[in-house]
Amino acid sequence: MFLRASLPALLAVLGLPLASGAAGAILDARVATPAGKPVPDAVVVLEPLAGTGPAAKNRPHAVIEQRGAEFSPWVTVVQAGTAVDFPNNDTVRHHVYSFSQPKRFEIKLYAGKPGQPITFDKPGEVAIGCNIHDWMEAYVLVVESPYFGKTGPDGQVRIANLPAGRYRLQLWHPLQKAQAAAGEIELAAAPAKLNLVLDARAREPRPHTAADQDSY
Amino acid sequence: MGLTSLQRRIVLVFVGLLVLVMGLVLTLVRESSARIVGSEGSNGLVVGAKVFQRLLDQNQRQLETAASVLSADFAFREAIATQDQPTMRSVIRNHGQRIHAQVMMVADTDGALIASSQRETAAGAAFPFPDLLLEAESSGRSAGFRQMRNGQLYQVVLVPIMAPRRIAWVAMAFRVDDGWARDMAEVTGLAVHVVRFGARGPVLLASSFDARQRAALSLGGLPAAGRQALLEAGDETWRTMRLPLDGAMQAVLQLPVSTVEAPFSQLLQRLLWVVGIAILVFALGSITLARRIVKPLEELSEAAHRIAQGDYGQALPALPQDEIGRLATSFAHMRDGIASREERIVRLAYVDGLTDLPNRTRFLETFARLPAGASRAVAVLNIDRFAMINNALGYQVGDRLLREVGERISTLERAPLMVARLWGDHFAFLLEIETEDCARGFAGAVLQQLHDPITLDGQRLDIGGSIGIALYPQDGLDAGTLLRRAELALAAAKRRRSGLAFAHEAGAEPAPEQLSLIGDMRAAMANGAHGGEFMLAYQPKLDLKSGRVNAAEALLRWRRPGSGMVPPGSFIPFAEQTGFIREITPWVLDAAIRQLAQWQAQGLDIAVSANLSTLDLLDPELPRRVKALLEFHRVPPARLCLEITESALMDEPALALSHLNALAALGVKLSIDDYGVGQASLAYLKSLPVNELKLDRSFITAIADSPRNAAIVKSTIMLSHALGLSVVAEGIETAEELDWLRANGCDVGQGYRISKPIMAAELADWLACNDAIRSE
Repeated sequence: MFLRASLPALLAVLGLPLASGAAGAILDARVATPAGKPVPDAVVVLEPLAGTGPAAKNRPHAVIEQRGAEFSPWVTVVQAGTAVDFPNNDTVRHHVYSFSQPKRFEIKLYAGKPGQPITFDKPGEVAIGCNIHDWMEAYVLVVESPYFGKTGPDGQVRIANLPAGRYRLQLWHPLQKAQAAAGEIELAAAPAKLNLVLDARAREPRPHTAADQDSY
Repeated sequence: MGLTSLQRRIVLVFVGLLVLVMGLVLTLVRESSARIVGSEGSNGLVVGAKVFQRLLDQNQRQLETAASVLSADFAFREAIATQDQPTMRSVIRNHGQRIHAQVMMVADTDGALIASSQRETAAGAAFPFPDLLLEAESSGRSAGFRQMRNGQLYQVVLVPIMAPRRIAWVAMAFRVDDGWARDMAEVTGLAVHVVRFGARGPVLLASSFDARQRAALSLGGLPAAGRQALLEAGDETWRTMRLPLDGAMQAVLQLPVSTVEAPFSQLLQRLLWVVGIAILVFALGSITLARRIVKPLEELSEAAHRIAQGDYGQALPALPQDEIGRLATSFAHMRDGIASREERIVRLAYVDGLTDLPNRTRFLETFARLPAGASRAVAVLNIDRFAMINNALGYQVGDRLLREVGERISTLERAPLMVARLWGDHFAFLLEIETEDCARGFAGAVLQQLHDPITLDGQRLDIGGSIGIALYPQDGLDAGTLLRRAELALAAAKRRRSGLAFAHEAGAEPAPEQLSLIGDMRAAMANGAHGGEFMLAYQPKLDLKSGRVNAAEALLRWRRPGSGMVPPGSFIPFAEQTGFIREITPWVLDAAIRQLAQWQAQGLDIAVSANLSTLDLLDPELPRRVKALLEFHRVPPARLCLEITESALMDEPALALSHLNALAALGVKLSIDDYGVGQASLAYLKSLPVNELKLDRSFITAIADSPRNAAIVKSTIMLSHALGLSVVAEGIETAEELDWLRANGCDVGQGYRISKPIMAAELADWLACNDAIRSE
């Protein structure tokens, strides 16, 4: 809601320095709550609109490892078709599953690196859990566009190597209170700076069971 | 068992006090237990309510936990994630059964129903309890009591389904019905009801009551929340309170007062038993104790009663040595004391102290106790000339002589029923014989016993006796009469010197005539001097020294109309016995003194003697009366001489003496009549204010018999003179007797030889004639 209200103004400001350049544009965005608090793990996705050059098909390999009975990273953004490995670095086994519509899967009680990575081929949100550790959770946002980034602890994200052109900007966070409306942005060669607002709860670490916390 | 009053009082006091104390104790216990029942009931209800509340919380947590565990089941989540209606419905039914939930519903995160165990198609409908969803959004889960459309009450638990983020809600409902209420009731010990307080009044949704109790349950008078009240339901009183459950749902909790009361009423009941038994034991104990106290008292009282009736021989009850035992001992001592004193009294009353023989009283009583028809006789023995022996040898000798005689006559071969000493030297026998011959034989045996001389202090004494016998029933019906008749017979025997005489020989009138005698005497007295039936004859007394008659003895004569002159011996003893003499004597005294005054007026110098009987002498009026008469007729007291017999003195010596002294003080002369018949000693007579001694006529007639008798009379005259007494001899019948007496110093003579008794009118002539004779 906030985004919808503030984006046109932002775009007006950014319009001037936008220039097409072969070197590629850079977007520096800062995501904060309406109260001004930086939002980490917020995902910014840029979808090139018509007129924009064909998207570079890179199929990077993603990893969500399990360490200390936690998924790491918590939030992962992948282009559709990306294979994700779930290496288990713990001494205990894990049972990784997802009931989310875009990708249902289940890796039953395994240790070490499972033989097959999971390929996320449909765009959408996938919530991942561990059947034997209820507190473990991870989110994978599967997008079509190759242009995306995730905010760091300071709420800052840089997306580079962007071909100049018009993009549809989509903002997402696992704990967002509402899906933010998408905005459009014109990018030139010059780096652009954006301040984005997203009303999302901060991640609260979920307590482990007492036995897991014991260090033996 | 009759309770005497003492016994009853003891028992009443004991049992009454116990009942009082026990009543107080019971009241106290009752009041305390009522108070405790109240507070215990209140506490019990509060505790039960806490248990109920805790149970409710625990139930809810358990349901929540169960629901959480179910919702975390992988297969369940997987099935829900399929979003396939039949799959979802079957999985919620299946998993609902696992945790015994009657109703299961699944709603999406937006509050729309996805699946329900109750409905085939639920998708799209709204979740029926949005308030629970709202609560679960904020706190992760929620629970509450809800009534479903079928009217049934459920406890509903709402938990999220996490995969791993919340993908849906699952609601599980557990039926809250009468079974649930009974379970809760069982654990809490209270009656449990769930009531909805809606706009249309309270509605009972579940209850641990059965149908009958439920019918009696009234929801109208429920107390306000947090307050307790006592409600009647059926035949039980319930302590009731309310507890909020959820919204309009409230739990109503009830504690039966009887469960709290039960131990107390049991205690009270046992206490009542104890009290009852204690009272019984106390009553029995106090009755026993009272008996122990009262029984000896009753026995003592019985013993006292027997003692009062004269039975001293019975043994007193044996008693323990407590206070009552000591009382019994003292009682026994008292009885022994009474017995011994009575024995002494009886001895004093019935035994003659001198001879140890029964006395006159005993004799009379023994006679009276004989059966009415038994033949018997009474004999009276008199020792001849005893008075003279007494005088000559001293009364100690006389007493020993009487003792000796007593011994002899009580050791007869044919022992009589009783030998008694009447008085003086008079002994009486009670004989079991009926014929005169037998009596004669007995009298002979008695006289034979006395025939042997008695030796006292080396002195041989010849004694003899005379016996008078009266037979029963010819001579009298009672002992008094028989004794009197026997005495009369004795006098006759002495007179005749026959040694023995029977009463009928003594010439006494038959009893009927005697009875008419007293009536006639009364009539004669009533007529007085005018009637002229009683009159005085005067027998002159001759002064033997001067030969002058200067005194006369007044003798009573009775001219009975129709029968002429009555012999003095026939009515005077009778008058003395009946006491009528007390009426006659005053008349005699009055007549004699009047005559004295008359003679005095005629210039006759003469004194008059009058006889006094025993009864007269004991009359306290006598001295005063004599004085009054003398003064009235102006007669010098010295002109009057009163004659008293020895026996008159012996009956009541002290009283007689005081009267004699009074008479002597008047100046009246006193004379002892019939001296020698009794046992009075001269030494005793000397102590009396007596002037004169009249020897009994038996002495005078005996003078001529033996020189020994003459010697006794002579010594008596000498002794009398030595004591300052003048001696009068009565019954002088011959010139020899007169001469002997004159020769032996006797002062005065009286008798037929001198003159028979003559009327007063004749006396003056007689005196004149006598003077003429003397002067010739």
